Amino acid sequence: MKRPAVLLAVALIVLSLALISYRVIWLKYPIFPAAPQKVWQFSMDAHVNGGEKETTVMIGLPSTHRGQIVAEERIRSGTLTFNLLREGANQIGVWSGALSPRGEGIGYSSTIQVQSQRLLKIKPPKLEPYPLNIGKEEQALGKRLVAKWDPLPSADRLRRIAAAVKGIWGTPLPQDQDLKEWSAFQEKHSQVEAFLLLLRTADLPARVVEGLQLAESVTNSTLTWIEVWTGQEWEHLQPDKGEIHQVPAPFLPLTTDGLPVVRVNNGEVSEVRWTLNREIINQWRMQFDRIMRSNRFLDRWSLFRLPPEFQRTFRILILVPIGALMICLLRNIIGFPTFGIFLPVLMALAFRNTGLAYGLGIFWGVVLIGYLVRRWIDKLRLLLVPRLSVILTLVIICITVFALLGNKFGLREFMAVGLLPFVILTMTIERFFVIVEEAGARQGLLTAVGSAGVATITYEILQLEPLQLTFFVYPELLFAVAAVQVLLGRYTGYRLLELFRFRRFWSSS
Amino acid sequence: MILKATCWLRNVGVLGMNRRNAEYIMRFNPRSSFPLVDDKLKTKQLAEAYQIPTPSLYHVIEHHGDIAGLEEMLSHHQDFVIKPARGAGGSGIVLITDRQVSSFVKPSGEVISLRDLTYHISDILSGIYSLEDLEDRAFIEALVHPDAVFDAVTYCGVPDIRIIVYRGVPVMSMVRLPTRASDGKANLHRGAIGVGIDMGEGMTLAGVHRSQVVTQHPDTNKPVKGIQVPYWETMLLIASKAGDMTGLDYLGVDLVIDRERGPLLLELNARPGLQIQVANQKGLWGRLELIDQAPSGIFTSPEKRVEWAVKAFTKSDA
Repeated sequence: MKRPAVLLAVALIVLSLALISYRVIWLKYPIFPAAPQKVWQFSMDAHVNGGEKETTVMIGLPSTHRGQIVAEERIRSGTLTFNLLREGANQIGVWSGALSPRGEGIGYSSTIQVQSQRLLKIKPPKLEPYPLNIGKEEQALGKRLVAKWDPLPSADRLRRIAAAVKGIWGTPLPQDQDLKEWSAFQEKHSQVEAFLLLLRTADLPARVVEGLQLAESVTNSTLTWIEVWTGQEWEHLQPDKGEIHQVPAPFLPLTTDGLPVVRVNNGEVSEVRWTLNREIINQWRMQFDRIMRSNRFLDRWSLFRLPPEFQRTFRILILVPIGALMICLLRNIIGFPTFGIFLPVLMALAFRNTGLAYGLGIFWGVVLIGYLVRRWIDKLRLLLVPRLSVILTLVIICITVFALLGNKFGLREFMAVGLLPFVILTMTIERFFVIVEEAGARQGLLTAVGSAGVATITYEILQLEPLQLTFFVYPELLFAVAAVQVLLGRYTGYRLLELFRFRRFWSSS
Repeated sequence: MILKATCWLRNVGVLGMNRRNAEYIMRFNPRSSFPLVDDKLKTKQLAEAYQIPTPSLYHVIEHHGDIAGLEEMLSHHQDFVIKPARGAGGSGIVLITDRQVSSFVKPSGEVISLRDLTYHISDILSGIYSLEDLEDRAFIEALVHPDAVFDAVTYCGVPDIRIIVYRGVPVMSMVRLPTRASDGKANLHRGAIGVGIDMGEGMTLAGVHRSQVVTQHPDTNKPVKGIQVPYWETMLLIASKAGDMTGLDYLGVDLVIDRERGPLLLELNARPGLQIQVANQKGLWGRLELIDQAPSGIFTSPEKRVEWAVKAFTKSDA
């Protein structure tokens, strides 16, 4: 007998888990969408002055890749047209068009989430040929200089080279002739090229990256560093200081492979300004933008695709089944009575407008007045439907008077009752009266306390923002809720209060 | 502590609300048969077809328009009972034990007017006491003059006998004795006493009053234990037949013993309460399991089922 129900519950849970895993693993959803998270607010502002012909400005922008997610991108382009261009691993924003003599302000902003590197294998890069401006002799010089470190592991070789470029060669020193030639090379070439030569001769793949220091800052210049592959990861080498940073490095790359960040045709860029600010947001905000643009099946069918004005409703609605679950627990596991079955859930929804304390106050205030009037009305011998109508009218009068009083004394909560509660109040008054008449005041109060308790618990659940978000991001959790409800439906054990009711059996035995 | 209590209750075979609903009512009581027991008038008709005696029916009031003729209807009856056909838990039942010209006396001695009665019937027709707030019918039937056997332990009203029947086999029973608090009604939640009855001999055991075990009636102070219930086998037989006629396999059968007519079927209940276990100090679950384990083929007729139950559920069973 229990088997089909358990199977159904298991199937529902599996379905729910499958959909969640799909989102987490394939769509890269956060497991805890409500967890707070540190992100960077990135913005770039520039002023472009044009020439005679059409001006094109190409600026490297941060891109989503391993270790960082870029979201909420906004572009300011004025009269220019904007295009996004992919060049290798780079994301380049292209602003183009004819400019007025006063020039044009352009801008870009986004939210960047830097993730700690996942422990996934990165494909090792290939060793590139020597840069073109380095001749055979210079290559040979490089070989002689680094040959003694060949037996060392890649990471150590990198560190020796970093020290060498600063002039620390360690023992044994290279021959004087070689050192002289090296000084000449360094005068002729930049620091970066000096590094690239030595790294290449030491068989370490390297690339030049331009970007920004990852710190709260406003700057008008970019930074250049070299990323060196040491077998497991890219290490970051700052050529001017010779400092080496392991992952995560405090850098935000804008262009890689030696591409300059800002390039202009027919014009000039004055006043480029990059701004980085730290901010703490919910993880789902990062997802929001991505989901809106994604074409994946579950992304297209995400609740985030609803118009924002309806999203609010669904964030609440989707939690109501948990309220129902609470009622199942209270009635079937504990055995506590409530007015009606879902009345407490409706009460909780009504409390959202007024707040819990005022809500409970107004609720029991109206029910008490209603009860007293109902007792008196009983003498009038009214038929059922007209009698309920009278109570309904009374409830509306009470709510109206409360609202007027609230307005007089500046209590907004008294006015924010909304449309929902009057039916609930009317039915509660009638039920309360019937229970008190038939089963006594004690049972009536017990039921009242039970209802208020469930309403309070449900209200608190509905107000939990992390839970709202989690269910909103993963609506398939409702299948799991249904599974628990199915299981509760097959719970045939004793209710907690029955242990008390039948205490004679176990205390006397 | 919770675990220990649960284990005890399981060992004693106490039936809980969840198990009763899921494993017995939902499993054995087809929804289609519920109207037969939820509507007392339908039960009455059905009982007549099966030659089970019920209190005589005086009048059925179906429409508000019929209420005008109430005074005339009642003119021949010195005492009577007004009931809603679909009332739940004894609500809406008014007993009238005596009358003057146009005033009526309730068991408590309270006097009510004809207007009170018409108002009450109008309430019944509007469905105030009905199970699902549906429009209802009211009916007037003969007041049962209870057999003297329970006189010493009854405060006004009519004591009734509840027998639980499972798959046509009587399982457990109790007699429900009205008290001052229950206003002459025999419903436990209104304050009546439930007294367990030994299935073998029909002898009363200890009682339960508002979940306290009692040995005396709170109003008359007479012992409730050791009273021999008359017509015991007949009543078991009626209960067993009632199971057959409704098609409900888990059923509460309520009977009264009339001074002249003997046992009468009062009403049936498709969701009988669990308090009967406290009155008997016995768990229902254990007995239900016993019936399920009994070899099939021995329950072919009501007589055989009663015979089996009398042997199986007498004092000797632990």
